[in-house]
Amino acid sequence: MTLEFSIGRMKRRALSLLLFVFSFTQIQAQSGDDFIRSTGKIYAVVAVVLVLFLGILWYLFRLDKKIKHLENHYNNE
Amino acid sequence: MSIKNNWWKILAAVMMIYVIIAGFLIPLKPGILTVSPTYIKNGENTSIKVQAYNANYDKEPNLRAWLKFDSTHYLASSQIEVLDHNNLNISFNLNTQIPTTDTIAPVSLIIDSSVDGYSLLPGAISIKNTFDPSLPAFTNSALSDMHAWTGIKFPFRNILYETIRNTFFHVAIWMALFLLSTIAAIYSILFLRDPTKLAYEHRAYSFTAVSLLYGMIGLATGAVWARFTWGAYWTNDVRLNMAAVSVMIYFAYFILRGTITDQDKSKRFAAAFNIFAYVAMIPLLLVIPRLTDSLHPGVGGNPAFSGEDLDNTLRMVFYPAIISMILLGVWMAQIRTRIFKIEERRLLEQEL
Repeated sequence: MTLEFSIGRMKRRALSLLLFVFSFTQIQAQSGDDFIRSTGKIYAVVAVVLVLFLGILWYLFRLDKKIKHLENHYNNE
Repeated sequence: MSIKNNWWKILAAVMMIYVIIAGFLIPLKPGILTVSPTYIKNGENTSIKVQAYNANYDKEPNLRAWLKFDSTHYLASSQIEVLDHNNLNISFNLNTQIPTTDTIAPVSLIIDSSVDGYSLLPGAISIKNTFDPSLPAFTNSALSDMHAWTGIKFPFRNILYETIRNTFFHVAIWMALFLLSTIAAIYSILFLRDPTKLAYEHRAYSFTAVSLLYGMIGLATGAVWARFTWGAYWTNDVRLNMAAVSVMIYFAYFILRGTITDQDKSKRFAAAFNIFAYVAMIPLLLVIPRLTDSLHPGVGGNPAFSGEDLDNTLRMVFYPAIISMILLGVWMAQIRTRIFKIEERRLLEQEL
């Protein structure tokens, strides 16, 4: 139960982090073009790596949920 | 957990760490960011303000610069004033006729330094041709002793700049997707040849699941990059839309497999659909985008991975990036297959 709870929480965290990535591209665009079009655009690379990592993390959580499901079945038998 | 069976997982992790470290820490070569003014007239001496990136102009006593009209006509600078390591004022004597019949001639700026190598900004300045016959004739100055940078640095490309590093993440994940979906298609064929072998179907499903994940990550990372570079998450670009269509076809595979209630039928339909999705992906991702012009780097007539586009320093990180993404994908697909195996065994036990 506690594990399931923490997974739900972490999933929400991952989602909010993803929203954060998108929102920071949005907010900075409104407050002037100096950041989003900053020379070099290294932040674009950081955001891309973050999205990639979150995507893989999301799949791992799905796998985790499936295994948890199987575990519960075995434990109940 | 024995090293003998799991060495490739460790390899994936080590390569990924290498890709992130090398991919972020190797600096870009120097290059020209902006010039101003970008529109000048011939018939006068002109001073051009140049802003560069990662340059060391203050360390080079013998800077040289040219305006390039075409492959045979160059105009050497008359004076270069170094403001700091990234900023220059370059004067050109344009009190001369220019070697072009165009009313407005686009010229490129070339700066050569023994410290940084040469850099070029294509179409940097537009020169208005006054066609004044009283001006002195054009004296051509040849390029000579150009310096090339020989150390390990990533190439400087206009528009891309630092995001050339996305080659190791965004591009590598698409490359890995091609191999993973190929494996999925092969397992689908194997399953259709012998529908009693459910293990093939499970592997096909697992590899397709990881392919779809990679496809979605590919679209999302592309969208983030586009926001920074083009100013919008999505544009009506052929390459983007075709990639989205391809990913949606793979979505349909999961819907198809999940909605048909007859277990045997659904698996065979899904396997056949998987082969269709794979065959459809090839023209959607590899052929159609190359037939049309596109904003996407590497497109517009040319494949992305030839000659100038991918230099050896990029390859040094790009190939390990692809391999690590593939290994990571195989790893995730393997875990998904193992879940199938346990589920199957459980069903068998229930029947007994």
